[in-house]
Parts: sequence; C-alpha cells; structure tokens
Amino acid sequence: MEYIQGIAVLIGINLIAVLGLSILTGFTGLFSFGHGGFMAIGAYVAAIVSSRLGLPGPLAFPAAILAGALAAGVTSVFIGKLTLNLKGDYFCIATMGFGEAIRVILNNIDYVGGARGWANLPQLTTWWVVLVLDVVCVVLVWNLINSRHGRNMVAVREEELAAQMAGVNVFRSKMTALVVSAALAGVAGALLGNYIQFLRPTMFNMAKSTDLTIMVIFGGLGSISGSIAGTILLVSLPEVFRNFAQWRLVIYGLAVIVIMVGRPQGLMGGVELTPSGIRKLLAARRARARLEAELKAAEQGGN
Amino acid sequence: MRKSLCSMLVAAMALSLGAQTPATVKIGWFGPETGDSALWGQAELNTVKMMANDYNAKGGITVGGKKVKVEIVAYDDKGDSVEAVNVVKRLISQDKVVAIVGAQGSGEAIPVAPIVNDAKIPLVASTATNPKVTVSDSGAVNSYVFRACFTDPYQGKVAAYFASQKLGKKKAAILMTIDDPYSTGLSQYFKENFEKAGGKVVSEVSYTSGEKDFRAPLTKIKAANPDVVFIPAYYNDVALASKQARDLGIKQLLLGGDGWPSDNLISLAGKSLEGCLFINHLDMDGAAAKPMRDEYKAKYNKNAELNSYMVHDALLMVVDAIQRAGTVNSVAIQKALTTCNLQGITGHIKIGANHDPVGKEAWLIKIVGPDMKFQEKFATAN
Amino acid sequence: MDQFLQQLVNGLSIGSIYALMAVGYSLVYSIMNFSNFAHGSVIMLGAYFGFYSLTALGVPFSAAFGIAIFGTAAIAVIIERLAYKPLRDRRAPFLYFIITAMGASIFIDNSVIATIGPTPKTFPPDLLPAFLQGAPLEWGALSVGRIDLTIFVVAAICLAVLMVFIDFTKLGKAIQATAYNMKASALMGINPDFVIILVFAIGGGLAGVAGVLYGMKYQVFPQMSAITLKSFIAAVFGGLGSLPGALLGSLLLALIETFVSGYLSTQYRDLFAFIILIAMLVVRPSGIMGKDAEDKA
Repeated sequence: MEYIQGIAVLIGINLIAVLGLSILTGFTGLFSFGHGGFMAIGAYVAAIVSSRLGLPGPLAFPAAILAGALAAGVTSVFIGKLTLNLKGDYFCIATMGFGEAIRVILNNIDYVGGARGWANLPQLTTWWVVLVLDVVCVVLVWNLINSRHGRNMVAVREEELAAQMAGVNVFRSKMTALVVSAALAGVAGALLGNYIQFLRPTMFNMAKSTDLTIMVIFGGLGSISGSIAGTILLVSLPEVFRNFAQWRLVIYGLAVIVIMVGRPQGLMGGVELTPSGIRKLLAARRARARLEAELKAAEQGGN
Repeated sequence: MRKSLCSMLVAAMALSLGAQTPATVKIGWFGPETGDSALWGQAELNTVKMMANDYNAKGGITVGGKKVKVEIVAYDDKGDSVEAVNVVKRLISQDKVVAIVGAQGSGEAIPVAPIVNDAKIPLVASTATNPKVTVSDSGAVNSYVFRACFTDPYQGKVAAYFASQKLGKKKAAILMTIDDPYSTGLSQYFKENFEKAGGKVVSEVSYTSGEKDFRAPLTKIKAANPDVVFIPAYYNDVALASKQARDLGIKQLLLGGDGWPSDNLISLAGKSLEGCLFINHLDMDGAAAKPMRDEYKAKYNKNAELNSYMVHDALLMVVDAIQRAGTVNSVAIQKALTTCNLQGITGHIKIGANHDPVGKEAWLIKIVGPDMKFQEKFATAN
Repeated sequence: MDQFLQQLVNGLSIGSIYALMAVGYSLVYSIMNFSNFAHGSVIMLGAYFGFYSLTALGVPFSAAFGIAIFGTAAIAVIIERLAYKPLRDRRAPFLYFIITAMGASIFIDNSVIATIGPTPKTFPPDLLPAFLQGAPLEWGALSVGRIDLTIFVVAAICLAVLMVFIDFTKLGKAIQATAYNMKASALMGINPDFVIILVFAIGGGLAGVAGVLYGMKYQVFPQMSAITLKSFIAAVFGGLGSLPGALLGSLLLALIETFVSGYLSTQYRDLFAFIILIAMLVVRPSGIMGKDAEDKA
C-alpha cells in the first residue's frame, strides 16, 4: 500500500504544478521551458524554512509551503517584467535560460547542499496534505479561469492584437498567469522536497519542465479536467509499462506531435468534466443533429 | 482473480508457518537501466541475473540446512532520485524483498537510506562512493545501508599517495566536474592528501557535466605547467578531455579514479591516454576476475564493466549474510552484514563501524595500448 | 598573452560550430516565424548518418559527408511536411508549432537512444581524410587542431555560399520575398510551399554539415540536441532571422563563454550566457543585427 500511496502522492504533487502550467500554456497560450526552475525555488526555500528556521512543529510546514510559493511568485514577477512584452518565441527562450540558470546557481550554493544534494529533510508531505492542497488548487484555478481574468487570458491566447484593442490589458493578464503558475509550481516543489526528503538541482532540469508541459498537452490545452487526467495518466502509466521504459519518451514525443496535429483538444477534448460542461456538450450535439436534419429536409424539399 | 486468491492463500500459509525458511528468497536490485548511466545499470542487472541463475542451477543457496532459490526483483530508477525512492518503496511494500543491492549512484542511494532504515531492509550499494551514503549529515550511521566499495575520501587518499610517493610528482593540476559530487569530492580529498604529502596543486579547474569542450580549462592547466593532471571524472569526459589536452600540447601524465574504467574508454580516447594511470576497485584483467569475466562474456557477448564486479560482491555480501544468519529475516541479515568479512572478486571486504569496507585494496592500473594493465595495489587503514 | 591567443582560438573554433547550427535556425525562423526546436535533433541525426555511413557502410569520407547532408535535408523536409504543414494549413496558433517541434525533438532523440543506445561513439581516426590525421598545428605555444581549422573553413565557405545564394540568385530572392511577406509573394507568383520546402532542405543540409563536423570534433551521441540550445541563444543574440547576425552572435557568444571560463570561472559560464541573453532581450530584443520592426500579433 505504501507503494501505491507513493504514486498517489507523486500524482498529487505534479498535479499542482500542472494546473499552474495549464493556466499559463493552456489558457494564456505562453509556452514555458523553465517551470522546473520555479519548482526548484519553491522546494529549496520551503526546505530552508522547514529545517533551518526552527519554527514550532505544526507551523513549520504551512509556513514553508507559503514561503516557497511566495519566493517562486516574486521571482516570476521579475522574469515577467523583463520578457512578457516580447514575442512568444523570446519568452520561451528566456524561460529556458531561466530554468537552467536557476539550476546552475543552486549547484553552487553550498548552504543548500549544492550539486551534492540536501538530504534528511523532514517528511512532512503526507497523502492528506497533498489531497487537501489538490482540492484547494483545483477550486482556485477553476475560479480563476471562469472569472473575468480567465476570459481575458483566453482572449490573449486566441488573438492578442484584437484582445488589446478590445481593452484587455495584455501584459497584466500574462503576468497574472505567469505569477499564478509560478506560485503553484513553487508549492509543488515544496511538497516534493519534503516528501522524498532529498533535494538535488538536477531534479528540476529541463526534462522536468518538459514533462510538466507534456502532461498539460495530453490532457488538452484549455481544460482543467484534462490536466488532471493527463497528470494521472502520465505519472501512473510508466509504472504499469515498466518493460517499455526505453520507449516511453519515444511514444510521448510521437503522441505530442499527433495530438497537436490531429487532436489539440487532447484527452478531454476541451470538455470539462462538470455538470455544466457535460450539459454544454449534449446541447452542442443536439444542435448539430438538428442542423443536419434541417439541411436534409431542405435538400429533399428542393428536389 | 483466482491467481491472486491462490497467492494470498500461499502467503497466509507462509506467514502462519512463521519462521520457517521459504523455498525462494527475493532480493531486490535497482539501478539505471535507462538514462545516461544505462551502461552501468545494465551491466549490474546482467550480473545479478547471472549470479542468481548460477545459484539456482546448484539448487539454490543453503540457509539453515535448507536449499533456497534466489529470485532477483529488478527495477529501473532511470538515474533519477525521485524514481529511486519510488522503486525502493515498491520493492519493499509490493515485492517484499528481504534485501536490496545496487544503488550504483550516490544520488540515488542517499535518498533511499531513510526508507530502508525505516522498513528495516538492508541495502548494499555497489559503487556509490560518497561518504554520505552510509553516514548521514548528522553523523549517525545509516543502520541498514552498507557498501561493497571504498569511499571517495579513501580513493582520494590513495590517488594522492600514488601521485606523490610512487610517481614522485610535486605539482598537480586537477580537472573536475563541478556539478558532480563524486568528482568534486574526490578532487577535494586528493588535494588535501597531496598537499599533506608535500605536493602543491598548481591549478584547479572545472567544467559542468554535459560539456564537450574542455579547451578553456585545459588551457589554464597548460599555463600552470604541472607534473601530473588528475581527472576525477567519468570515462566519457576523460576520453574527450585527454584528446583535447594532447591537441593543446599538454604532454603530462594523466591520473584518474574509478570513473575511468570502461570498455569504451580506450576506443573513445584513442592514443591520448597511452601510459596514463587510474585507480580501480580491482584488476579487471586479473586472475581473480577471470572466471566471472569469461562467464559474463560467454553469456552476454559483452565485456563485464566495473559495476558488474562490484554488484557481484554486493550480492555476495548479502548471500553470505543470509547464510551466516541462517534465516531470511531482514533484521538478522542486517546484523550479519555488520560482521561481514569475506574475500570477494574485488578484494577483501571487512565491514567496519561506518558500514564501509575497512582497508579495502585499491589497484593502480596503467593503460598500455588497448589494454589496462595492473601495476600495483595499495591498502591502508581507513 | 599566449593563453589569451589560445583562448581566442578555442573560442573561434567553438563559435564556428555554433554558427553552422545557428544559421539553420535563423533561416527557418525568417520564413516561418517560429523556432524550430527539432533542428537540434536533425543535427544529431546528421552526425549519426555520417558515422554509420563511414563505419558500417564503409564508403569513403566525402561520400559519408554527402549522405549525411542529403539525409538531414530529407528529414527536415519530412518533419515539415508531416508536422508543420498540417498546422500551417489550419492556421494553428504559433504555440502549437513550438510544442510540435518539441515533440518531434523528443521523439527523434529518444528513438536513437532506444535503438542505437546512449553510449557515445567516436569517428575512427583512420577512416578520416589524411590531412585530418596529423598532429595539431603549432605556432610557438599556440596549438590549433586540424579539425578546428577545417570547421572554421567549412563554416566560412558554407555561409559565404549561402549568402551569395540568398542575395544574388532568383531563388534566393524568392526566399527573401517570402520571408518578408508570404501572402504578397504568393500573389506575385512565388509558390510558398516550394520556398518553405527549399528553406527546410537548406537548413537541414546545414544541420548535417554541423552534425558531422561536431561529431568529428567531439563525439557522436544522442543528447546532442541539448548543445544546440547554445546556438539558439547565439541566433537570438545576433538577431533571429538575420544570417550575418547568426554568425556574429555565434562567434561573440563563443568568445565570451571561452573567456569567462578561461579567466573567471567555469561554473558561471552558462550563467553568463543566459544573463547576456536576458540583457539582450530586454535592451534590444531584435538582437544585434535583427530587423527592428516587430509584429506583436
């Protein structure tokens, strides 16, 4: 059971980062190669707060998580100020550079173990903590997406120039998306460090950032339930298919291409797994069927 | 459904029979089957499977008068710390192994230490040389972690001894991988001991892992004009660095550690490593290794790597502990491991207070043409 | 002084490789307006094509080189047709292109790892042309490897030929026109599809050259696409979309990197590269020689 619980915790932790990234990439259309860096900041700051500051027991962990999220969020404000005004491509490269830079810096800070790693962190992340935080994050993200801010983000994704002309503060929307995604990545990082009780900068390299993005893509850009489904799938599948470990990434790469070309809505097809979402889907189906029937009637009538 | 019902019944029977020795003992292995270190992980996996086959061909190992078969349960940790934690949890809670061998990388061995300590399942690491694997940050010994290899401090001491006493070198330069604790650790211990012996480190340069061009740091080394260049890195980087060093006109002797030995080292380095020396855990071409070397080659059509020999001794330590304890109970196995004192392929293994082998021999190997020739061995009290 | 000169040579030699890689990026960017992350994987394939043609097929070196160039050009075009064209036809948002490119890169890299294996290979010295087999050339304390000189010369020739082609031939002008405004040039009778295929083929061919040369200078291994991140930065540094910019950016970046690791510290070398990148993006995002006009949409 401990093993299955371990997998569940990993899914839960990754989910928080993926939800954040979903806001940035799925809903606002910005591609980031560097969210591993934000996770790293969250993880290390949280570790410092929980092990070095000597806070009283029950206070330490929540403080650590908050500190981690705050640190990641603040850093993202700096990055955002510098790069969000540029074209998408440049933002990508900048995030790539940022992710790597964070790793290099952490490798050289002996206080947090450097490249050697920091072991014996307290085990504070439990199944319950992860579950509660997951629920909180889903609710948070859901509300954000369905608010005015969320709609602005989607507008920016769809057609930036038009959104700007319609009065949307493009820069502010992008910044909000970036900060929220960075903070959530920070939370995930904080949870990770205090779960495996060990931190090393290589854990947060570009491969991690790419992994997170793939989870968002699989689930479908612009779908929260998709991100949840994508995370569950991509964290648990490797366990089931251990024999094909070597081909896992080959299949992922191919799947990404196929999804982008064939079905960019991903697993969930842009449908949210909520009562209103399903109602919308059924209504759309009904409308299409009605339209087809009308067309057919018109044809026969014309003949 | 029926299968799991059956296995539940069998498990219930086994449990009810209490301390009776089962017919099969499960030993776990984890390591990088995929990823950058796949070469070593696969070498280890092949070896433990081969050893299990050999034991079982003779009916199994003898435990408390009964013959027990050995089953290896293996998982890929992809060279990743998080994955290592994952698979060790799986080995302990799902597969219920009584002991684990492997953990060739210190980065994977260190995070799993608290897990095996809590679950009371002993782990014998094959080539994880970082001191923190067996002794945690607080100074306490990880009660359930052991290793079959010498540690980096020891290796650094030996390398410095060879460089200063045996080779008479007075000025050394070091080229290390800055973000690899193995490399930085080894170079630190080399420097300490080299300077204690009266030598001087005239240049200490580094590169980040993944780098392919070492000319910038090498140019600095050339300008410092050392007698010997110590490169505590893995064979891949060493091959490139040595080629580039020769291209730059650096003609000095190159000295290395246990990251050098590999089938591919000489083919990748060409003539640039001719006459150079490195420290190994054993003489891979020697008489002690020959039976296993031949068997591995015959079975897998590949040459055994250093890790093969190391994991062989790690598994040997576990089997020896099981046999001395007379039971497959993991707590008893751990106790037996603390008094381990056997002769493995890689030398004499006597486990000391830190759960590391005490005074294990280090072998100085010279590269002559396409071969690695044993020069001499050296052992010192830790 | 000796050390300075040697570091200069070191930097120029790395810079030539960055340049070959960066030019391919810039070329595709100028037409398609997106960064083809799969370029790195194509470079890696070029190295492998060259290596296996030489060792497994046993063809002479020049033939192996040729096979590599044609192979990568073909692969680049295939990627374009299968992965990018459908997106272009659908007028998919630019984000999709980047994600697809990333997917292609992951797919190619890991296919090689899963089949051939992650262990690096090296070009057997006796199979290389004779003039590459000798000792490095020495002038006093300065040492220049033969392969480095070759790379510098080959890079210079390739880039010169490319620039002549772009500036002075009809096809080259067609490429320039399409890069400037795809729709308008289509109206003028230039087939955009054809131009795109041409550009990818040229970019792919250059990738092949870069791959083989890189494989010869260092080793052949599947993780090569990671190295192209540097050339990517170099292209941005010099100005995405500008070929002379790619060359300049590459040489400058390589020199800065080499001098930082030679005189300051190796561990902060990568950090420096990124800081310079960010600084450039903030101060002058179009790069040193890039086009000033920027279409935000």
